[in-house]
Amino acid sequence: MTHAGDEGLFERVLDGAAADGAGAELFERRGALLELTEDEEGSTLLETRERGFALRLFKAGRSAFAASGAERAAHLPAEARRRLPRARARRGVRLPAPGPGESAEGRALVDPTPPDADLARTLLTGFRQALTAAGRGTVSVREAAVSLGERTERLATSAGRDAAWSSRLATLVATVIGRSPAGRFSARVVGAAARPEELPVARLARHAADRVLLPLQGRPFTASRADVLLDPLVGAHLVGRLAPLFFGDEEEALLAARTREGRDALAAPLVSLVDDATASGGVVRGVRDGEGTPRGRTTVVDKGLPSGRLTDVAAAGRLSAASTGNAVRLAWSAPPRVGSTNFFIDPSPGVSPLDLLAGVGRGLYAAVLLERPEIDLAADRFRLVVAGFAVERGRATERVSEAEVSGRLSEFLRGVAGIGDDLRFVLGGTGSAGAPTLLVPRWRVG
Amino acid sequence: MRETGDLSRDADEAVRLVSGLLRRGESGEAFRERVRTETWTASESGLLAPALSEESGTAVRIRRDGALLLVARSGAGPESLREAVREAARRAGSAPFFKAHRAAPAAPAPSRAEPPEEEERRTAALAAALARAFSDPRGMTATVEVSRVVTERTVVTPRALLPCGSRTRLVAAGTIRRSGSERPFSFQSARPFGEAAEALAAALRAAARPVPALPPAPGPVDVVFSPQAASVFWHEVVGHPLEADAGDRGSVLSRVKGAAVAPAGLEVVDDPGRADLPGAYAVDDEGALGRAVPLLSGGVVTGLLADRRSGGVETNGHGRTPSFRRPPRPRMANLVANAGDATLDELLARCGDGVFVRDVAHGAADPESGRFVLFVSEADAVRKGRRGAPLAPFALAGEILSALASVDETWGNEVLPATGLSLCVKGGDAVCVGGAAAALLVRGLVARTARR
Repeated sequence: MTHAGDEGLFERVLDGAAADGAGAELFERRGALLELTEDEEGSTLLETRERGFALRLFKAGRSAFAASGAERAAHLPAEARRRLPRARARRGVRLPAPGPGESAEGRALVDPTPPDADLARTLLTGFRQALTAAGRGTVSVREAAVSLGERTERLATSAGRDAAWSSRLATLVATVIGRSPAGRFSARVVGAAARPEELPVARLARHAADRVLLPLQGRPFTASRADVLLDPLVGAHLVGRLAPLFFGDEEEALLAARTREGRDALAAPLVSLVDDATASGGVVRGVRDGEGTPRGRTTVVDKGLPSGRLTDVAAAGRLSAASTGNAVRLAWSAPPRVGSTNFFIDPSPGVSPLDLLAGVGRGLYAAVLLERPEIDLAADRFRLVVAGFAVERGRATERVSEAEVSGRLSEFLRGVAGIGDDLRFVLGGTGSAGAPTLLVPRWRVG
Repeated sequence: MRETGDLSRDADEAVRLVSGLLRRGESGEAFRERVRTETWTASESGLLAPALSEESGTAVRIRRDGALLLVARSGAGPESLREAVREAARRAGSAPFFKAHRAAPAAPAPSRAEPPEEEERRTAALAAALARAFSDPRGMTATVEVSRVVTERTVVTPRALLPCGSRTRLVAAGTIRRSGSERPFSFQSARPFGEAAEALAAALRAAARPVPALPPAPGPVDVVFSPQAASVFWHEVVGHPLEADAGDRGSVLSRVKGAAVAPAGLEVVDDPGRADLPGAYAVDDEGALGRAVPLLSGGVVTGLLADRRSGGVETNGHGRTPSFRRPPRPRMANLVANAGDATLDELLARCGDGVFVRDVAHGAADPESGRFVLFVSEADAVRKGRRGAPLAPFALAGEILSALASVDETWGNEVLPATGLSLCVKGGDAVCVGGAAAALLVRGLVARTARR
């Protein structure tokens, strides 16, 4: 992707931007993506290379943003400078500076390695085989796609921060069809990992088979109140939607309301919520955030009590703290904002899902989500439409085609009475979200 | 920054490159795109400065025996095209024609710099519209990103370079909270900026109104859809099942092609030529002329929306892609249903007891099983043929063939454009769509509670 004449482009743009007394931050991202899709029509191979620059100028509490590809990058300083005098920005916006002991790396970016099409083919074949086994021949693939991506990124500021890093992402997305005498049912499933070799192909195939067969083979759940076991892949979607509560100081009022100004816990004492870019199994594994700040582990709920916030440089400034490295750039062409990396409920070591199942008298094991979860943080309500298995005295008795788990979100979180050790992640929010198996006794089920 | 660039300045060379790339039995094209986006962050207390971005890209696509190769590169200039062609040729195993054909460098892109005052004028107009929308922000918080998106596309076929034109849209998405409840907000308009900003203000005002507390009782319910909401119903129930990538046996409607599934006299057409609607285009993203395709004619299933890769069907100009990075797929453009002869009051009277759906926030359909769900954001109860109290948001579920069979034999006499339809997301790919329909009575859909 580097063309003749591009050498030193990054430095030229940054130097041009740092004039006139404004602080400047320049971000460059190079990406390589390979995506192989197989469907009923044949196969599609996508191979993409991209390169983009994003500039932020800072002056007297104002900030201006401009982004473009390499062909227009030389114009970015003029574009940002033109808008700076009239730019209004959120309070606390400031130029990212190097942290204590942080030294400028100052190395030019290299193009990411082109991903391997043969590896993508192997993963797709593995998924098809696993699905055939999991569905016992009653589930087929309408469309499946594996995408393998790699990025290299660099960020430098006129305050002396200069860092470069790389990251990878692999996803498998499939639309599968289940057939039974009761009819046909299709669903889309998504699996993701930080490395292609970590893609949970067999687990995704089992999940896909459940997703289309349970609604066809099961019966609606009849009990109105039951012990609820949430599969990690169901619970993770719920957990992911909690992350915005902890983005900077944006939801202070809501958090205060949920905890009655700190008098109540936010969740059961068993529950700790964590954001950790280094979490094993997490989909995000970049070492720095979108402002170049080193990423780490932040506990936002410790044993049921709020204990921290996820911040970028601006939010950290408002909270008089150091940035937790949670600035995310959803695209190179968008300004950074506060977001989560791998956001999850901390698992309980040594507690297997079977241990939790054994404690269920009459209940529901929610194995798959049938619809997008409905979660209203402001109203403190949630609704999950799930399929799974009825449980009697610690054993699964029959398939459940549909059940609704809903109610007050805060009550649900405070009602968690068991957490497994089987942490799993799904793509969600601005990164990934994770949960182990969760047990909530005596919950309303429709 | 330029308002849009000229993607056609190297037309001859581009056509030569694409035609030289393709071998016998192959078809393909190049696709160029430039997108300029100004994004403001809006809240109840005002606007934050616009962020600006300009993205451009080139894709080269080769199709052969049901296989598609797509190579995409940043940049929309001659160099990006040559690089994409070179890589596509390498992956397809052919010798690129251009190695022997070095053309003269293309003329530099003409400068079309927009005067800075234009952007300031837009910011001022938007700020004024938001001030009117949030004239009483007490007890409310809003976080909405508003973007003005200018998209310019060109398709290079082996024979010609076909400009798809430049489209400008105002897009907004975010959340609005009031009275302890959060509502997602989305909006899109292809109208001129001033009109679009006014429409946005009106939509925000409506979204900021307090949400009623009670949804309808769960269970079967007769539903009168407003013209705006009816567009979403047709989009989910007829449009998606008749997109050709569901496969010949892939959807409950494509499996019964030629069968009467809805009342006689009902016409549903997907028409990219409706320039007044957001999904309009003259040439699709594969360089095929966008044609109006009747999907239901007299209530009979008649058509499929096809792209160049749809098996067994010739393209009818519905190959659409959200960006140069993604392959085109058969997608709707503007789904238009015909007018009947009933007034809205007559439909409400025929309904008797039920609900009147004013707006649908979003919907989803599974063409395979035929199940669909519509998330109703604004509705009123209907009692004895009259509109009553507003209802809290709820979901309406149904089965496609049953719902079509339950469409009342008479429907509204006024076709209006949809306001709720904007971006249609399928398989993660979002494209702009439009719709226009008349009010509609459907019996026996199933109401469910929904929190959003």
